[in-house]
Amino acid sequence: MGAIKRENIAEAAEACLVRAGTSFRPDQARAYERAIAEETNPHARWVLEGVLENARVAARNVAPLCDDSGIPHLIIRLGQEAELPPDWLSQVHQGVAQGLRIMPGRPMAVKGDAIQRIEQSQGLHDDPSAMLPAPAMVEPCKGTELEISVLLLGGGPEIRARTRRIFHKRSAENVFKQAASWTAEEVQSLGCTPTVVALGVGRSHQEASALMLQAMRDGDFDRQDRWERLVTDTINQTGVGPLGLGGSHTCLATFMRIGPQRASGVRIVCMRPGCCFEPRKATVRVDSAAWRFDKPE
Amino acid sequence: MKQGGGTIKTVSLKTPISPQAAEKLTAGDQVEISGRIYCGRDAVLPRLADIAERGSLRELGVDLEGAVIFHTAVSPAGIGPTTSNKVEIEGSMEALSKSGVRLHLGKGALSPDTVAALARNGSLFAITPPLSALFSAKILSSRVAAFPEEGMEAFFELQVDKMPAIIAAAQGRSIFQSDSGKQS
Repeated sequence: MGAIKRENIAEAAEACLVRAGTSFRPDQARAYERAIAEETNPHARWVLEGVLENARVAARNVAPLCDDSGIPHLIIRLGQEAELPPDWLSQVHQGVAQGLRIMPGRPMAVKGDAIQRIEQSQGLHDDPSAMLPAPAMVEPCKGTELEISVLLLGGGPEIRARTRRIFHKRSAENVFKQAASWTAEEVQSLGCTPTVVALGVGRSHQEASALMLQAMRDGDFDRQDRWERLVTDTINQTGVGPLGLGGSHTCLATFMRIGPQRASGVRIVCMRPGCCFEPRKATVRVDSAAWRFDKPE
Repeated sequence: MKQGGGTIKTVSLKTPISPQAAEKLTAGDQVEISGRIYCGRDAVLPRLADIAERGSLRELGVDLEGAVIFHTAVSPAGIGPTTSNKVEIEGSMEALSKSGVRLHLGKGALSPDTVAALARNGSLFAITPPLSALFSAKILSSRVAAFPEEGMEAFFELQVDKMPAIIAAAQGRSIFQSDSGKQS
């Protein structure tokens, strides 16, 4: 055991961002293959086949899956016995910036002071790495490793996402049906269907959003529990279909995470209807010797 | 093209698109667009619509007669449709249709009012998946046509070859079950 090298942290974060933005994971590709096999609407099949082929070409060319390369969101697990350099988080950010340059990310960071940024009055940065990541989430864990997950969140789902209270009436079904109905209201306007829904249920808006992000990180298309299937099936009943063209695959999967709750008739739910390429994510682990992707892909 | 449980009719469209060519298309038709297309989104389409309404497009060096406007940014990350029902984009479509735009290309449902406005002006709405990695091979050339200060959101002119799309609204009819998708 020894100290984690700072250059390994930056290199791992760079590779993680590029992997997240340019490739499907095996479970994600399998979900599309299943959908293509089942779908009977020819327009819907055309979209599903195109999304899968696009993913294969993006991986082969190491090119962005989508021109909206997304906002980097970082979830970091910090081993309690990990020996880290003092500037480890800066190294993560440097790696993310370098990943945005080489992928390349879309140069969409807005110039100017606070008000100028809101009004987009000073134009955009030419450098993709000016797109700073959202504030990182850090979780403790056992061991000596540093684990970095990068998620790239596109703009379309952000228009359609909601974080609101739901009166649970002592029924989980009430909560998830309400959340599914929010998504059902939004999917036609989303455009980039099939959606992949991420849900977080917590005690505050911040916590529900964090849980939603963790659900995206941990979600597996091959493993869907009863409640996740309930949400997916409810959305699929809309018949909106891929790209809004009809068919039976409006939603490919739902990933949810439920946090601690408080005594109350209210639960705070964050629902994010991800686009057809999401979740765009990858995870790397760094130890004192080297770094590696979380799973062989 | 035959796929799955049915056949999709594919129509080749060369820009500029004539009124006669547009009239032949119906919602659900698959098309492949070749030739010059314009690209613009949130930042420039309201500005362009304003200039069009003032009759000053010629001063900008932009000819919209029979044009296609793809709702996308253009950057090294590629091209791909942004949501067309954003206020800045959908709110510009009627004015741009009056100025000759024959086909608006993007994604997401439009409101019934917009679908009707497109029909009144002989204009179409088509949608395309965000296949940026595949679309890169379809771009033959690219240049900024106007508003360079907007960066990747500038008004671009592209030459494309066989850009795939599906007609989503034509002659007042839309493929969407409910045309209530306007951004709230």
